[in-house]
Amino acid sequence: MEQIQYYYFNLPIMRDALPTMLHGLGLTVLMALTTVAMGVGAGLLLAILRSYPSRWIRWPIICFVDVFRSLPQLVIIILIYFALPYAGIEFSPFWSTVLGLSLVLAAFAQESFWAGITATPRGQWEAATATGLSHTATVLFVVLPPAIKTSIPSLTNRIIAVTKGTALGSAVAVQELLAHAQSIQSVVANPSPLTLGALLYMAIFAPMVAFSRWLEWRYRWSR
Amino acid sequence: MFLENFFDINAIIYTYPLLLDGFLLTVKLVAVIVPAGIALGTILALIYALGGWFTKAGFILYVDTFRSLPPLVLLVFIFYGLPFLGIQLGSFASAVLALVLNGSSYYAEIVRAGIVAIPKGQWDAGRATGLTRFQTIVYIVLPQAVRNVVGPLLGNTLELTKATSICSVVALPEFLRTAQIAQSHVYNPTPLVFVALVYLILLWPLARLVSRLERGIATH
Amino acid sequence: MTSAPVLQISDLRKSFGSEEVLKGVNLTVQRGEVVVLLGSSGSGKSTFLRCINRLEEPTSGSITLNGNSVTASNANLRTLRKQIGMVFQSFNLYPHLTALKNITLALRLSLGQTRQAAEEQAKHMLAQVGLAEKAHAHPSELSGGQQQRVAIARALALEPQVMLFDEPTSALDPELVGSVLEVIRLLRQRHMTMVIVTHELGFAREAADRIIMMDKGEIVEEGPPEQLFTAPKHPRTREFLKHFTGR
Ligand SMILES: Nc1ncnc2c1ncn2[C@@H]1O[C@H](COP(=O)(O)OP(=O)(O)OP(=O)(O)O)[C@@H](O)[C@H]1O
Ligand SMILES: [Mg+2]
Repeated sequence: MEQIQYYYFNLPIMRDALPTMLHGLGLTVLMALTTVAMGVGAGLLLAILRSYPSRWIRWPIICFVDVFRSLPQLVIIILIYFALPYAGIEFSPFWSTVLGLSLVLAAFAQESFWAGITATPRGQWEAATATGLSHTATVLFVVLPPAIKTSIPSLTNRIIAVTKGTALGSAVAVQELLAHAQSIQSVVANPSPLTLGALLYMAIFAPMVAFSRWLEWRYRWSR
Repeated sequence: MFLENFFDINAIIYTYPLLLDGFLLTVKLVAVIVPAGIALGTILALIYALGGWFTKAGFILYVDTFRSLPPLVLLVFIFYGLPFLGIQLGSFASAVLALVLNGSSYYAEIVRAGIVAIPKGQWDAGRATGLTRFQTIVYIVLPQAVRNVVGPLLGNTLELTKATSICSVVALPEFLRTAQIAQSHVYNPTPLVFVALVYLILLWPLARLVSRLERGIATH
Repeated sequence: MTSAPVLQISDLRKSFGSEEVLKGVNLTVQRGEVVVLLGSSGSGKSTFLRCINRLEEPTSGSITLNGNSVTASNANLRTLRKQIGMVFQSFNLYPHLTALKNITLALRLSLGQTRQAAEEQAKHMLAQVGLAEKAHAHPSELSGGQQQRVAIARALALEPQVMLFDEPTSALDPELVGSVLEVIRLLRQRHMTMVIVTHELGFAREAADRIIMMDKGEIVEEGPPEQLFTAPKHPRTREFLKHFTGR
């Protein structure tokens, strides 16, 4: 018991590690927020584009989505960071991670929004067209608002799953939370910083998970 | 020029044995983690459904804890942290433990949601004909629940399969890791591209199937 | 009719939270007797039936089946439930199993019958309700009336001492009601002890030995059908009959 406390909940070590780790946490949060902004934004745009009745728009989007749903996040990040430079395209570790995760989130977000759009009753489209609205206006002002609302539960889950991937940044030397926890851990030869890291991750994600549970619970009872 | 850099066939031929080993290890990881995750997740969901409020709270604590932790953080903790207690699991066992904890929490939540969505009348019918609660859930409720959540279950299986690539971080020579080693041998990104293509070819059909099934449920 | 009570219920009470839904119900059902329970919506009929096999836990009171206590804390609920057949308004067939398997499941799990014996018994029961040829159909392939007959066969297969019916025809299209009532009539001819909740007053009058009128969790009037239908005493009974025959 004492051993567990010494190795995993060593308060002096945690206290010393905290400032550096908070720094890492800041970077983790920054990566997560950038990823969400880029990924959800791109996903929404793709879903809107997909509603246009042209296969030249639809097929590339479907391919994009399938590719980024099929590839592991870490494989994408490693490709961007280690392979793209051979083509003369270089991204910093930070942007390699954020870009990789954003592509994945864009694919998943597109799916969530698209599911919401296809769930819109035909009558809505017809009513809008009958009142002379253009396709773009119909999508933006009639179809999208309820579609976004429907997609929120699944989107929330995807956002959590993808932003947890910021920890993968440590594999390409982003100095985020996990990287700091690991390096301090090896310096002090005590895994308490890992515990602290895990707790800090939970501090970010546990409220989001609780929020998604609440959303699902509310959805179940509102039917 | 482009092909030479990104798809140098010689680089593949040269590193092929290494990559094959990596591929087989990834297959082995998936073959252990997915069934174990589904089994543990289902057992947890059954315990939730049969237990009292205390058990239910315990279930939510387990599921939400492992859903809030990035699997890589869990893996690093198990691989680098546990040895201090004298628990030396090695990279394969650490990978299995981390991903089973992570995967089972998602599977458990999916099956739980499936179970609570089954109408109460099904329980009534089972109980009224003298079945125990356990028999009722195993023979009547669970089969229907699982059938209703096949889409999410497969979706999580896809995610879990992809997640095995994080094990490269603890030097487990799975597919991605061997690609990185191969790349350092040939000074050429071809092995990375090759591995990505193999992932894509193998997982694309699964991703298609998952999104079709999810669509089916959305429009249901 | 012999005078061996199959079911004896005394001072049965049930509350949900602060709302008392059953306020001390007494009922004795003799072997072979058909009791029809009437009452407006929310009067506690379903709750009453569900307390009899303890799908709903009674707050107080006692229930005995053939002299064995159902409400005792050490009662063998599984054994007792096998002796109490129950038919639900919404059928509650298992949608993932065929008609035959719907019936064999409890025979195998509750009675421990072999697969062969269970299937034989199930086929026999299906034939009794006129659905021998539907053995391998799934519930979704059956009409509502057929589903309810399978549900009755499922309950009967366990050879219960008493059958409880909770509005067995309320969820059915009018043209399908007859086939289900026909099965219940058949059971009556075979002297099956039954407690039936129904709004089919014509059927109640013809098939019941005794009618119970329930209101707000209490029995307000009971008697033979002729008496109850032609000379109802309680104002709630009169109101109820007027409402349902006035349609
Ligand atoms: N599980 C429950 N929790 C809380 N209240 C309940 C529950 N089940 C029934 N009730 C309440 O008990 C009362 C009696 O319900 P019950 O279903 O027994 O009536 P009923 O006579 O069968 O009505 P109906 O003809 O509509 O089927 C109602 O007020 C109902 O709201
Ligand atoms: Mg009722």
